Amino acid sequence: MAARIVPAVFFLSAATLANEIVLIRLLSFRFWPHFVPLIVSQAMLGFGGAGVALQIVRRRAERSPGRLFAWMVLLAAPTFDLAFRASQSVSFDPFLLLWDPVAWLRFGGFFLLLAVPFFLSGVAMAIPFAFFRLRPGPVYAASFAGSAAGALIALPFLMLAPTGDLLRLPLALGAVACAFVLSDKGEGLRKGRAAMLCSVLFLLVIPPGDLKLSPYKDLAAVRNLPGAREIAVRFGISGDYRAVFAPGVHSAPGLSIRFAGEIPPQATLFADGELRGIVPKDAGRTPPAYLGYFPAVLPYRLIEHPRVLQLGLRGTEGVLTAAANGASTVTVVEPAKELVRLIREDLSGFSGGWPGSLPVEIREEGVRNFLARDRRNFDVIEATDISSSTFSSLGVHATGETFLLTREGIRAALSHLGEGGLLAFSGWLKAPPRENVKILRTIRAELSAARLVPAADRVAVIHGWGTFSVVARRTPFPPAEIDRVRRFCSDYGYSMVWPAAGAGTVGGAEERVLREAVSDAMTGPPGERETELFDLSPVTDDSPYFHRFLRLRTLPEFKRLLGSQWIPFVEWGIVFLVLSLGVSLVLAAMLLLLPAAFVRDRTGEAATISVGGYFSALGLAYMLVELTFLKVGILVLGDTIRAAGLAIGGFSFFSGIGSALSGRWESERAMKRVFAGIAVCVVAGFVILSEAAGSLLAHGWEMRTAAFVATLAPAAFLMGIPFPAAISRLAAAGGSAIPFAWAVNGFFSVAGASLASIGALWLGFRWTVVIGAVLYVMAGLLYQRVGRKIRS
Amino acid sequence: MIFCTTQEGVHSDAFGETEPVKIAAPLLTIAAVVLAAALHPALATDDPYLQQRAAMVRDQIEREGVSDPRVLAAMRDVPRHLFVSPSLRAKAYEPYPLPIGEGQTISQPYIVGFMTQILRLKETDRVLEVGTGSGYQAAVAAKLAAEVYSVEILESLAVRSRRTLSDLGVRNVVVRQGDGYYGWEEKAPFDAIIVTCAGGHIPPSLLRQLGNGGRMIMPVGGPFMTQNLVFIEKDARGSITHGNVLPVAFVRLLGH
Repeated sequence: MAARIVPAVFFLSAATLANEIVLIRLLSFRFWPHFVPLIVSQAMLGFGGAGVALQIVRRRAERSPGRLFAWMVLLAAPTFDLAFRASQSVSFDPFLLLWDPVAWLRFGGFFLLLAVPFFLSGVAMAIPFAFFRLRPGPVYAASFAGSAAGALIALPFLMLAPTGDLLRLPLALGAVACAFVLSDKGEGLRKGRAAMLCSVLFLLVIPPGDLKLSPYKDLAAVRNLPGAREIAVRFGISGDYRAVFAPGVHSAPGLSIRFAGEIPPQATLFADGELRGIVPKDAGRTPPAYLGYFPAVLPYRLIEHPRVLQLGLRGTEGVLTAAANGASTVTVVEPAKELVRLIREDLSGFSGGWPGSLPVEIREEGVRNFLARDRRNFDVIEATDISSSTFSSLGVHATGETFLLTREGIRAALSHLGEGGLLAFSGWLKAPPRENVKILRTIRAELSAARLVPAADRVAVIHGWGTFSVVARRTPFPPAEIDRVRRFCSDYGYSMVWPAAGAGTVGGAEERVLREAVSDAMTGPPGERETELFDLSPVTDDSPYFHRFLRLRTLPEFKRLLGSQWIPFVEWGIVFLVLSLGVSLVLAAMLLLLPAAFVRDRTGEAATISVGGYFSALGLAYMLVELTFLKVGILVLGDTIRAAGLAIGGFSFFSGIGSALSGRWESERAMKRVFAGIAVCVVAGFVILSEAAGSLLAHGWEMRTAAFVATLAPAAFLMGIPFPAAISRLAAAGGSAIPFAWAVNGFFSVAGASLASIGALWLGFRWTVVIGAVLYVMAGLLYQRVGRKIRS
Repeated sequence: MIFCTTQEGVHSDAFGETEPVKIAAPLLTIAAVVLAAALHPALATDDPYLQQRAAMVRDQIEREGVSDPRVLAAMRDVPRHLFVSPSLRAKAYEPYPLPIGEGQTISQPYIVGFMTQILRLKETDRVLEVGTGSGYQAAVAAKLAAEVYSVEILESLAVRSRRTLSDLGVRNVVVRQGDGYYGWEEKAPFDAIIVTCAGGHIPPSLLRQLGNGGRMIMPVGGPFMTQNLVFIEKDARGSITHGNVLPVAFVRLLGH
């Protein structure tokens, strides 16, 4: 029996994990990034639901577990494709969640549909534990090893398959799993099962459905325009990149009203459906004139023929701006190789190539990696668009990690400035001011830490009608340069905010507020302002959420001040995170806890508070630890998908080994050591990784990957032991409490996926990991009570 | 970013404001009012949204600082619920934007009121609207100005808004499908320009088409979120001044 079950479990686990990874990309493309907690919640809901379902149908399932296992595998495989197709037909609008109850129902339906493949896979994988009376170790090992394999296969597959085809990977892996259950032991091929496999193979060969984007995404908006056509596509691990030409696109964010000319036709670049850059048509030889009419070109007015470093490739517009404004060299750091290829190769005919007279170097690596590795100094270092006017202005990135804008990131950038060099940031003005003030406070904190004081003498801030530009340098601005800033503002119709223009400055409420906020950021007391509605304090690598401005404790004040008008200040990323946590918990309570409560334990075995406490602590703690490692992995490894693949795959693999060997540590005495070991390894691994991150960034990806895996491996290995060890104890006590254990574990895993993000946002990575470690210690205290009979 | 293209103009059947009728016969007036009340959903006494609309104006617009009685009256008159899909009508008078399809939204009532007030529309004004959307803003402006020329880039929205405005008997709004980025050269100059689709820059063509003494307003922000409003004035000599204006609710947040 094991000869067919173990490979089937392996491939089904691989399919399930691959499904998780590709869903991250697909939902990022359809909606927005940072769907990791949601997808992990869906997976956990499915797995937990599987445990409860088995509890309910236990007596019937016991009659023919082999047959049930086979059919669950056969049913799970096609749902990797069908569930996603069905979810696309749910007209789910995340923006209506705040005020439309119907949107909640739709979201619930959307959530449940995507949980179906996880549910069926979970049922299939739970059956061997619940009914086959096999030793759990090998099956667990197959499950975890399969998960690791799925994650590792999914990463290269992202480079091979177009985004719309990604679900073929889990479908194919599911089909392989099906091949192991086509017959029962010693019997021939079952026709019904073979027909089911054929249906899976049929899904593999028919074209996938079109990906339906949220209508609010930039790509959807441009596609809607008359005459829009896609002119280039690239895809890979870092994202899905598309160039669309539409005659109706006229992008020039913050263009001075003094510009009276024409903007040439433009192609628009999108990364996972969000605006990423602009490529003006045929502008390679002669950069268009409008590129000189933005507040962001201030650095070029202060330094002649600067050596420029641009952090991020903004189509060709960034390089053209440098060329149009007299740069002597440009180095662009861009981690997305696919984007670089798309611009340099696919769009070279459209763009007319790069400016011939300007040496342009493109470094394909992470920005923090480049800053840690490269030793050169630059005259101008640019980070543009730190606050956007487009889709992302909705705050959907509030839950996204931005390691460039942390204190450590700014410190690294400042260290690359040459004599008189300028670090420049630009973005959209918002009322009340947020990004500009936060970046100023971060710059001030780092200048002060480097004893470059007063910071106020080293910063200039200007704004146009819609955008701001902040420039900072290591030495004080000479008066002549301040005069040049003034002249620039006067010539182009901009306002000079800092250094302050004097008491006679006039302006509306927004102007006054901006000046006061900038002045306070430059000369006010350092540190957090407890009275501010928004959180504008500098962020660090431990909680790198630059775009998170929301303070939980000021929400009631928001509501009081603004009454019904507070919608404009909502950060949708956080709203969505909290709402998805709420919806997932309601669903989990309905589908996991409620049925489990109604199913009475007839054997008198230990479906007790201890069992509940133990498995809930494990579910929550595993998610807190795994997802926090994943988030630090984004810094160390350079992007989300790579970090997700290696973290989820790495944890699964090493936990799988721990599970396979768990039989050796089932004694209460040994398990005390295991739990203590988990707490130590989790905290130590995390501290080593986060402390070493700064120096690791300077190394190649092989070294960074090895270090990342090495720091998580001991903790992950030990974290694989407690679940099967306790399952074995429950099995020895009769086994009827096993599905209950799955249910509780699943529920808290669902919660843990979102709580890990909430913890990272408001507590930081370190405290989130410490909470995870403490939960493991608490689980250790309950271990001896698990599986103990409460009556004979 | 402003998404607009030049397309062939598709003119509706409704053109300009009719000449005022100089007959003052009370009987005819009463008959006209009764007829209008019967035919016009906004004026019908059985309008189920009348109270909601009055409450919207009172609680969301007037209380939040929009004080121009003409603007308030216009917003009391225009049946906002007819500019959204039937499934969302019950929410039409709530204080938030609503989707109208194609990734577009109808602005929250307060923003419409605020933008209309700041334009200081006169009965003789010729207004250009860029981004017709549902047609609601055009309908409100039409109550206050002589002519409203509205350009919508998405054909489906242009067709729908034209039909809605026609059904409501709005005669002084002309909707065409096209690229609002280039304005409406043949009808320029305009006394006021209202850009309802959030833009990344102020199109030079619109500045050219703004007449001397004209006013222009443009919101900045993504869908569902107006974060800034840019106000531009051209004085009698053609000099341009601009600044960001804050809706009152925003100002309150700032403590000013």
